[in-house]
Amino acid sequence: MTGMTENLDDLETRKPAKLRGQNRLRLVTIGFCAAFATIAGQLVNLTLIKPPGKDEIARLVPEPRLPRPDIVDRNGVLLATDVAVASLFADPRKIIDVDEAVELLTATVPDLDSKVLRKRLTAPGKAFVWLKRQVTPEERDAVYNLGLPGIGFVNERRRVYPMGRLAAHTVGYVDVDTKGIAGIEKYLDDQGALYTASLAEPDSHSTQPAELSIDIRAQFAMVDELSKAVTKFKAKAGSGVILDITTGEIVAMASYPDFNPNAEDKNLTSDQVNRLTSGVYELGSVIKAITFAMAFDYGTSNLNRTYDARSQLVIGNARISDFHAQRRILTVPEVFTHSSNIGTARMALEVGLEGHQEFLRRVGLFDRLQTELPESAKPLLPARWSKLASATAAFGHGFAVQPLQGASVVAGLLNGGLLMTPTMLKRDQATAEAMAKRVVKPETSEKMRYLFRLNVAEGTAGKAEVIGYRVGGKTGTAEKVINGRYNGDFVLCSFIGAFPMDNPRYLLLVMLDEPQPLPETYGFRTAGWNATPTAAAVIERVAPMLGVEPAFSEKDQEVLAKLAKAKKKPG
Amino acid sequence: MHKFTNALLVVAVLVSGFMLYTLEHATRGTERDIGKLEVAIAGEREQIKFLNAEWSSLVRPDRLQKLASEYLELETIKSTQIVAEGELAARVPAEQQIKLEANGSDPIGDILKKMQ
Repeated sequence: MTGMTENLDDLETRKPAKLRGQNRLRLVTIGFCAAFATIAGQLVNLTLIKPPGKDEIARLVPEPRLPRPDIVDRNGVLLATDVAVASLFADPRKIIDVDEAVELLTATVPDLDSKVLRKRLTAPGKAFVWLKRQVTPEERDAVYNLGLPGIGFVNERRRVYPMGRLAAHTVGYVDVDTKGIAGIEKYLDDQGALYTASLAEPDSHSTQPAELSIDIRAQFAMVDELSKAVTKFKAKAGSGVILDITTGEIVAMASYPDFNPNAEDKNLTSDQVNRLTSGVYELGSVIKAITFAMAFDYGTSNLNRTYDARSQLVIGNARISDFHAQRRILTVPEVFTHSSNIGTARMALEVGLEGHQEFLRRVGLFDRLQTELPESAKPLLPARWSKLASATAAFGHGFAVQPLQGASVVAGLLNGGLLMTPTMLKRDQATAEAMAKRVVKPETSEKMRYLFRLNVAEGTAGKAEVIGYRVGGKTGTAEKVINGRYNGDFVLCSFIGAFPMDNPRYLLLVMLDEPQPLPETYGFRTAGWNATPTAAAVIERVAPMLGVEPAFSEKDQEVLAKLAKAKKKPG
Repeated sequence: MHKFTNALLVVAVLVSGFMLYTLEHATRGTERDIGKLEVAIAGEREQIKFLNAEWSSLVRPDRLQKLASEYLELETIKSTQIVAEGELAARVPAEQQIKLEANGSDPIGDILKKMQ
């Protein structure tokens, strides 16, 4: 009994000590459990209940340079892109059987020369020799499948221009480090860096293509007709531009001779420059359109006025005469259609020196025209404005301008009076009109449209008529200055026109440099015989592409009926 | 009791360890696959670019004109060949009316009749 009580006593006395230790242990256990439960809870919370969004996951992303954007035309046809090309190299030390390697390689890559190859592969002490730069993907795969040791590829990027010569002046080209050095390619690197950045897509490592205003089909029609004309008239060069006058977009711009931007070694000669932007030319009578618009806009002249063109106009000791001399009193439309220098000079003199300069300044002819293209030439105007300078500038003498600038001014006169800076990038009408500057009243523009159309219907630009497309235009034949004197044997012929004239949409400028007279032009070398028919050929091809709907007046239908009859008779 | 708990914990550690390593292994495999796919996508992108460039050089207008002049008899479209939308009806050549009933069968007509 006592033993039991003793035992019980023992238990009684030992129990508290044991409990103390257990309590501490429990506390620690609870602490650990709480910590682990928190971690586990957080784990479940983060992974199952609230998984992080895609963007929240931290990831190490290497940031290489943004790829150069592709360049496409207004319809999305690719004009410039980057392609990966492989270059074939060898490590001669690792090649086991040179004979076998040479044999297999020459069999798969036909343009490798076996002698040269053997020499390269046996070169002592070399660890790297190029075998062929920029092989085609087929060749790369074939060589890969040979499984030769010591033969490898390096991937390089190369800028290619699938359209080749077409639009080469506009698109430009890049150097070996794919840095733009001409055309839009240069623009993408320099002033247009902001534009380039806007093409980048924020979440993927790619860029949108840069969209040009060029329509490659119209561009080709232009180049094709120009090259035909240059050959036919044995001209030095030909160039042309089509502007959308409602937006200022350049739909086609060609200068022939051109160049191949894919060629490694371009060696451009001065003939191959873009004549529309990089130089100034006297456009001759084409400038008369500006003088007419000026006189109408100031109200010093109107369509009902007449001008005396019976005799030469004498200013100081200079005489101004007409090429198509009429020797009578001409109405204003007649001054335009006969391209009378005397009449035009008289109109400018009525406006006065101040007014003449003010108007030229208003249409921007005192300033350099800056488009996306890096090159731009400043207009050359008379240094001192005298009565004579003003009279001759009125019909384009002593007045040289970048042809593209001349075209944009005439576009401004025909589109209702809004001068727009021409652009090579796609632009919509609202943006263009917001940026445009009003230079003449809409009524003046209306009168100019009438004169342009009249000049094709019955004036010097008759050969520009393309039945159904209501063409209007003005010709210009400028004598070139050779050894300080105007020489009639060297001329620059131009035609500037628009269609359809009832609501002009497209403006066309065609220039031929030093065309020669032919038997079928009856020995003439004036623009009416060479630049004008070329323009007609371009319009006939381009109008359907650009969606210009033909319309036939009663007079047109008579002409068509006559043509149909004439066709039937011989058959 | 203690023994049982300990055994349970050991088993739990082993099981969770096994699960962890299987998961990690699977993850690594998936990562490898992602890498492979990314390389393949990049390759396909390159291929698309290359084919686009090739297509563009194949549809070059000068090339098409050369081929067309060689194999087709095409001429520059004349303005007189274009007809305005409104005049289209007048230009449609008169077409012979097809009388299916005369030929003995008119399946759609039969269905319509049945519906009536």
